[in-house]
Amino acid sequence: MAESTWLKSRVRIVGGSLLAGVAIGVVGLLGGLLHYELQTVTTKLFAVGALVFGFGLLGWSGSVLLGRSIETVHRHLDRESDWTEASSRRAMARVAGFGGGIMGAVTVVGQAIESLI
Amino acid sequence: MASKWFVVKRLLLLIPVLIGISTVVFAILHLGGNDPAAVMAGQGASQEQIETIRTELGFDDPIWVQYTRFLSDVSQFDFGESYVLKPGQPVWDSILVDKLPVTIELAIYGQLFGVLLGVPLGVLSAIKQNSLTDHITRIGALAGISVPIFWSGPLLIILFANILGMLPASSRIDTQYFIEGPWVFMGNELPLTGLMTIDTLLLGNIDAFFSAVEHLLLPAAVMGIYSMALISRMMRSSMLEVVRQDYIRTARAKGQGQKITMLKHGLKNAFIPVITVIGIQFGTMLGGAVLTETVFGFSGLGVILVNAIQAGDYPVVQAAVLVFAMLFTLVNLTVDITYSYLDPRIQQ
Amino acid sequence: MSTQTQQRRRRRGIRGFIHRLRHSRFLSNLAANRLAMIGLLIITLMVVIALYARIFIGGVGPIEGYYGEIMGSNLSGNAEMAKAQPSMKYPFGLDGQARSIFPRVLFGSWLALKWGTVTVAVSTVLGVSFGVIAAYYSDLVDNVVMRTMDVLLAFPSLLLALALVSILGTGLQNAVVALILVYTPRFARVVRGAALAVLEDEYIDATIAIGAKDFRVLARHVVPNCLAPVTVQSTLNFGLAIIDLAALSFLGFGAKEGAPSWGMMLSAGVENGLHSAWWWPFFPGLALALTVLGFNLLGDGMRDALDPRMRDAID
Repeated sequence: MAESTWLKSRVRIVGGSLLAGVAIGVVGLLGGLLHYELQTVTTKLFAVGALVFGFGLLGWSGSVLLGRSIETVHRHLDRESDWTEASSRRAMARVAGFGGGIMGAVTVVGQAIESLI
Repeated sequence: MASKWFVVKRLLLLIPVLIGISTVVFAILHLGGNDPAAVMAGQGASQEQIETIRTELGFDDPIWVQYTRFLSDVSQFDFGESYVLKPGQPVWDSILVDKLPVTIELAIYGQLFGVLLGVPLGVLSAIKQNSLTDHITRIGALAGISVPIFWSGPLLIILFANILGMLPASSRIDTQYFIEGPWVFMGNELPLTGLMTIDTLLLGNIDAFFSAVEHLLLPAAVMGIYSMALISRMMRSSMLEVVRQDYIRTARAKGQGQKITMLKHGLKNAFIPVITVIGIQFGTMLGGAVLTETVFGFSGLGVILVNAIQAGDYPVVQAAVLVFAMLFTLVNLTVDITYSYLDPRIQQ
Repeated sequence: MSTQTQQRRRRRGIRGFIHRLRHSRFLSNLAANRLAMIGLLIITLMVVIALYARIFIGGVGPIEGYYGEIMGSNLSGNAEMAKAQPSMKYPFGLDGQARSIFPRVLFGSWLALKWGTVTVAVSTVLGVSFGVIAAYYSDLVDNVVMRTMDVLLAFPSLLLALALVSILGTGLQNAVVALILVYTPRFARVVRGAALAVLEDEYIDATIAIGAKDFRVLARHVVPNCLAPVTVQSTLNFGLAIIDLAALSFLGFGAKEGAPSWGMMLSAGVENGLHSAWWWPFFPGLALALTVLGFNLLGDGMRDALDPRMRDAID
């Protein structure tokens, strides 16, 4: 029971942005094909997705790792901050999901197109 | 007390940090305009040569294949071979391994400088709040942030090395000393650490040790100035907060002298948040290492990173960035664990 | 009732900002801060020098300067003579190419202030946009935009700039673009905080209720109220931007070889003149440090004047 809510809340956070990433990935891939070769499009688009995914993953783990330190430092040196570990972690999970969506979409659709040609 | 599970959980965080940073580096390499195959072939290479190299290195494969291959290589600490700086040589064994201790040693002593000066300055500032001392400390901190490393470094060299002749200006130790492993401990031969100040002691060469310390003084001071400024500010704020708390008032009411009270009860509690600053600004410290190594002619990770970016030697860039990230992560893990050890309330 | 509302309305927007600035204690607080005034003096001096250098040395303007002399090598014959020490004729001495360092340092102030202004101005505009949008369209957008900025902020600026330069390629313009990206999050954060405070004001709700467009609300009411903290932030970051730009040039990623920028001069001085010609790295660095100190002193004073509580964080 507790397990399933734990899972559900996480799926809800990442799921939406993952789907958005997939959509952007597919649209970007098809749109890019109008002007460039398949390999150029997949390389650049996948790299963009990887950049977003890597950044999100880095931000997520960084938030967990540095969360307490940052909150302490903000309390002392920067009083206007409302930074919290939890919100940062969630936002970064979304970012990573979005990037991962792009990467996944490019891989699957790219492979499909390749096998068609 | 830090529980074992807590430490393990923190250590597991290393994995997403490393995957994240390698993925970002991978993306950067593929987004940049340069063709690695062309870089590797060198100037004046023919189109066919470039194509051969491209096929050889697998740059022709679909990008998702390259990505999975890249991740699996990195997870085995295989950073590939250098393109330009030492063509064909393994990046880790022949380039990075002996640069790493140079940077680590610089960072340790720079941090030490920052803590040893920053903490007392912050305490002094807090005890004599709004006095002349307080103001001078504040201005000093501001000046410390204003002076760039690549000017304070040359200034100190000109003053202490050229004019006064007191301290050496470059390299890690006097040339007369020959530091070579292995060292023997209880009958076992062990490799050296690469940290000059440790190795000289391990080998029992005191003169060489002092020479190494002399060589480290100026670069450590230059690197530690920023950290000193930040730590003194944090220490001041933290000390002032602790002093306001009740138990200090009680102690004061019992008739102890004000300054002694502040020192006795305040210091330990005030120091806890200061530790977190050390972790967070360690990244800036590593950025400073790039400049410090350039000024003092140390051949460390920072210099290698700059050279590799300029030459387009991507495997080296990637490995150097990963090592930087790992250092930063490990330092912050240590800070986090120390923190929960000092302040057990914080553990959930 | 209605006159009261009008009174309040009159004090919104840019005019309201100026009105409040004149009636707040900000300016008098600032003027009473001696260090801040020293900072302002240094900055003024540097601006005058920069304009002088641009007009009389820069050459590419109404007045023919001797730009050529500070750019190319004047080396002929004796290499030792080429780095003569400071004298009446050459106040800051000669560098290894027999160029007088003095006019080069003067011209360097023009380059530093020009590119510093570009960096700070563009990142301010970007930061204000992101910050205001994040504050206004709260929840998801706010969260994702701001937390992304926060993560970017956690990276050391020089290392992040190096990473960006390795994507964009080297060169002064790319270095400036990289720094703009590095500095934008700092402004976004400050602006978002200020904008959130304004948006909590019931007056804004009323404006929206009577049908004002989003853009109008943001431009007329929210942005002007963020100007004070943004100005402080710009001043504080101006110095840092100049340092980082010089650092990129120093490492070989910014200005071209031989360009009269402080970072490049320092790089050449450290490489070639550290032990034989102290004046070579000394004077460009002095100008750089002084300029940065000026901005930091003024910025720090402005922050204190804006919010005196910040100064004694606890009291």
